[in-house]
Amino acid sequence: MKSGSTLTTAESTLQLLKPPSVVTGHLTIGGLDDQVLTPVGTKPPLAWFVAFSVTLSATLIGIALIAYTIATGIGVWGNNVPVAWAFDIINFVFWVGIGHAGTLISAILLLFRARWRNAISRFSEAMTIFAVICATLFPLIHVGRPWLAFWLAPYPNQRAIWPNFRSPLLWDVFAVNTYFLVSLLFWYIGLIPDLASLRDRTTNRVKKAVYTVLALGWRGASLHWHHYERAYLIIAGLATGLVLSVHSVVSFDFAVSLVPGWHMTIFPPYFVTGAIFAGFAMVVMAMVVVRKTMRLENLITDYHLEVMNKVILTCSCLMGYAYLLEGFTAWYSMNPYIHHTFMQYITGSYWWAGWLTITCNVLIPQLLWLRPIRRSYSGMILVAVAVTVGMWFERFVIIVSSLHQDFLPSSWQIYKPTFVDYGILLGSFGLFFTLVLLFARVLPVIATSEMKMVLPGSQPAHKGGRHE
Amino acid sequence: MSDRKIFSVVGIFDSAQHLMNAIPDIRKRVNAPLEAYTPYPVEGLDKLLGHRKSPVGGMVLVMGIIGALSALGFELWTSGRDYPQVTAGKPLFSWEAFVPIMFEVTVLFAAFTAGLGMLLLLNRLPMFRHPMLRSSSLPLVTRDRFALAVEARGAEIDVEKITRLLQEFGAKSVEVVEEPAPAGVASPKFFLRTLTAIGIVCILAGFITYWTMKLFPIVKPMVHMLDQPRLNPQSPSRYFSDGSGMRMPVSGTVARGSVPYTIRNQELAGDLVNPLYRTETVLRQGRQAYMNNCSVCHGVLGDGKTSLTKAYGAKPANLVSQSIAGLPDGKLYHVIVAGKNAMASYSAELGEDERWATVHYLRVLQRAANARDEDIPK
Amino acid sequence: MNKQPGVRGMGADRKLIVLAGAGLVGIVVSWIVSGGERFWANWILWFLFLLTIGLGSLFIVALEHVVGARWSIPLRRVPERLSSLVLIVAPIALLALLSLDSLYSWTSPEALANPIIAGKRPWLNVPFFIARVIACLLLWGLAWWILVRGSIKQDKTRDARFNLRARRFAPLFMIIFGITITIVAFDWISSMEPEWYSDIFGVYIFAGTFLAGLAATTLALLYLQSRGRLKDITRDHMYNLGGFLFAFTVFWSYIGFAQYMLMWYANIPEEVFWYQERIEGAWGPILLGLAVFHFLVPFFLLIPRDAKRDPRFLFWTAAIMLFSHWLDLYWMIFPVLDLGPLFGLPEISFSILFVSAALLWIRFSMTRGADMPAGDPLLSEGLEFRL
Repeated sequence: MKSGSTLTTAESTLQLLKPPSVVTGHLTIGGLDDQVLTPVGTKPPLAWFVAFSVTLSATLIGIALIAYTIATGIGVWGNNVPVAWAFDIINFVFWVGIGHAGTLISAILLLFRARWRNAISRFSEAMTIFAVICATLFPLIHVGRPWLAFWLAPYPNQRAIWPNFRSPLLWDVFAVNTYFLVSLLFWYIGLIPDLASLRDRTTNRVKKAVYTVLALGWRGASLHWHHYERAYLIIAGLATGLVLSVHSVVSFDFAVSLVPGWHMTIFPPYFVTGAIFAGFAMVVMAMVVVRKTMRLENLITDYHLEVMNKVILTCSCLMGYAYLLEGFTAWYSMNPYIHHTFMQYITGSYWWAGWLTITCNVLIPQLLWLRPIRRSYSGMILVAVAVTVGMWFERFVIIVSSLHQDFLPSSWQIYKPTFVDYGILLGSFGLFFTLVLLFARVLPVIATSEMKMVLPGSQPAHKGGRHE
Repeated sequence: MSDRKIFSVVGIFDSAQHLMNAIPDIRKRVNAPLEAYTPYPVEGLDKLLGHRKSPVGGMVLVMGIIGALSALGFELWTSGRDYPQVTAGKPLFSWEAFVPIMFEVTVLFAAFTAGLGMLLLLNRLPMFRHPMLRSSSLPLVTRDRFALAVEARGAEIDVEKITRLLQEFGAKSVEVVEEPAPAGVASPKFFLRTLTAIGIVCILAGFITYWTMKLFPIVKPMVHMLDQPRLNPQSPSRYFSDGSGMRMPVSGTVARGSVPYTIRNQELAGDLVNPLYRTETVLRQGRQAYMNNCSVCHGVLGDGKTSLTKAYGAKPANLVSQSIAGLPDGKLYHVIVAGKNAMASYSAELGEDERWATVHYLRVLQRAANARDEDIPK
Repeated sequence: MNKQPGVRGMGADRKLIVLAGAGLVGIVVSWIVSGGERFWANWILWFLFLLTIGLGSLFIVALEHVVGARWSIPLRRVPERLSSLVLIVAPIALLALLSLDSLYSWTSPEALANPIIAGKRPWLNVPFFIARVIACLLLWGLAWWILVRGSIKQDKTRDARFNLRARRFAPLFMIIFGITITIVAFDWISSMEPEWYSDIFGVYIFAGTFLAGLAATTLALLYLQSRGRLKDITRDHMYNLGGFLFAFTVFWSYIGFAQYMLMWYANIPEEVFWYQERIEGAWGPILLGLAVFHFLVPFFLLIPRDAKRDPRFLFWTAAIMLFSHWLDLYWMIFPVLDLGPLFGLPEISFSILFVSAALLWIRFSMTRGADMPAGDPLLSEGLEFRL
């Protein structure tokens, strides 16, 4: 800072204060289309096929084991009597959580007019949808007789009964389904202008027919944009409420009960934060791969990754706050049961899971305070992997550690997952990445119309007059 | 030029700025509706073209409120009225527990109103036959150009003048777009009507199914629990040698809490003394036992007149008659335990206290049947 | 009142001083009439009310530095000036320590017979409590010094390095703020019922605090505008401010409902009694009023797009929100007295004294520095902000 004249210092300071442009290098509006839309629907490179075969194999393993579970019964899982909820619910909570980052990026950041979100919104919304698909799988198979899952829906029936609307499990059904439908709607509405671009670019007749139908005859009329923008903003606002509500409802599954370690008033915001945290880690991981392999470094810039890492750091601090309060309340409540459960987390049979959670979720992400780590691939991948592992184990701690020693010491049991549990977990990861890989090839991974909107020079200059 | 009508004259501009600069000038010189086509929303363009405030917000608010109220109403009705069941000790109308689903349904209604309302109602999409879709300008627009269309909308327009004007104010190229053939099945109206019809059918189907199933219980409800491999009471079984599914108690055993009753004769029972005081609790207990066990035959008032009498020609005793009112407590108690004439023993249904309480309640009925003036409270 | 913009109306100051004097007399009288407990309950209530406004404003300032928001730079001076309330509450907080004997039952020796309270002794003891209070005050003072003093100084120096310093310090302040606001919640409010616990309580108080800061900022901003100052702040800025008010009304309701619903559902005696005390009798309508005025009314008022851009409309909405924040604190604190909802001479005199004193202080603070952070190199960008 001391070198150079005061003028250059002031200028360089100013440069530091302003956020960099959303794209690097020179990019025209049409050039954006060429870059993003050209690869859509073309033959993928070899690396894609390698990745796809790996994820598809994992998916098939998962499907086979799900079939085995349904044919035999959920006795093939490791669940036992105090630990009646185990991998199935852990995975459910984990995957629903992954979805939340997508909605945060696409909806909340839109409301905050964070322009950098435009480059990553499409991809993270797609991840939301795929994650929710993975998530809904688990409650469905864990009911044991999935063909009767329609009983969850309130439909007029011969039994003259209705589902129990006071049960958080039913809230879950509504919350997750609403979340899925609204995310799908939001994603599709965002896709329409891009589909129109694709329709008008492609020369292949079959593709053109498909895109024509999907684009609904979008023609970019200003009156259409006028309504479109308003509706898009409103859905974003609603989706913001959904982000808060969905994981809160998931947390209610636990928190309305009397199980020590589950009945915590902080659970709703704590679950929401954790969900966004894990989701952002997944988005960062995916984005690093996508920008490298699809050569999108100019659109998904270092700045994007740095901002996402800052969000991860913020979430990590909030998680630390929640853990701290959980521990403090365990002591402050002077409730022996809560105290016992908390001590189980950190010194009990699954102490390693407790410490793994704390290390991965709170300690390792603190590295992101350092700017070089925020900007290095290895640093952010390390943190993102740690957070993914940590958040999965956090749900493990909440579910298994709390349950395996319930109020009746005679029924205490250690939970051990079986190969079926591991296999289905692997299968869910396989399904998620299979869908991601397919998406990356058949639809534009970047919302071009949203991106065009924020490219330098795309908007008319302000007149400077005051709006009235 | 073909014989088709002209839909619009479209000028292509290089940038949003050029487009916005041209609009006021062209508007001044041409008296025809203008529409712009852009690859992305351009700030301020809607104001320049004079689009009114979008009604999406109002639609969403109304539908959101409808969603909230219908969800809450539905939850209250199903959990509090149609299928009232206490769960977790919560009141029937526990609004707290209904808030999460109410919220989700609100968001669902509101979001789909915004999305589908915008697409179907306001923008009239899907629309596959719009003239612009056939034009050579649209591929430019969906990429990076900006189009300004002077629309004919049925009226005659001066194509040459407009072409000149557009070029004068910066249009790089000008295209004349013609009306297409009339829209067939895939018109926006068709989609809208189909969707509305599906919605109405769904709602109607719900109501019809609900009432049909309520009024005509023809389908065997939920058979999974009935059709279990298990032994039902009173049913035969080949497992035991006597062929009966039920077992007799081991001889000489007594049920817990039961007191052996050894009096064989009603006359001898007259000496028994009712051990219960006539308190309100006892009388209530007696009434409960009487209503549940005795009233079917002896009648709510104890006069032996019920529908059963007519249906089966049975003659249950008139418990409020003088002869029975004159019997001591013990003899009444004996009848409950041992039965009389056609009446079977009720010792299995009623415990010791309940029998005595029933006797007390009988006295109440007898007194009521022969009430005097001074019994009426002033 | 057609004075030069920026000149304080001395007449108004004099009126406020007279009012404050009247309030003071009322307080002395009510101390004699209705005793110390009620006096201290009022004292804590007003201390927390002013503290949350100040802290909320400080949080707004820090938030802007953390996220690098530029639209809010032109109006940043308003929360900066309001945040000086965290300085003036220091003596009020220290005096409030005198209330420990009468309002905080864990201080009494008899309370130690209760094993739950006795167990909490390592946290709930007088020396540690005082230490926490002083530590919090010092940390807030420090944060104010760095974030606000620096900003006012920047008016003259025009040194952009302040922004960098603030940007580096603000994340640290967020951590300090998170911990201290939780301590405020647990110590000053929750520990009035020492058996009670709720781990979301810090977040609940944070939501109220931020909302109070926002509402006070909005009120002060619109007041200044009506006096011909801050003319460059457009309706687009107000729209954003209104959006924040809306968002955090929803957030407060979400946290409040989550806490209530979880306790209602689980229905465990050791925690549900807190709500029981605050629902029974005349407290029920007050809780209902809280739901109406802290959530429903501002929620529906702020939904329309135009409402957020209309200064008069926004002013009254913010006023309702600030009032309902006061009501929230009242609803949490006063049931401890076990006398039902009270609003008599002590409450009125306290309101008069603290409102007029706070207004005096705010009017004085409004003279510090320029109306906008003139030295901020990004100010012009903030002024250009349009929706």
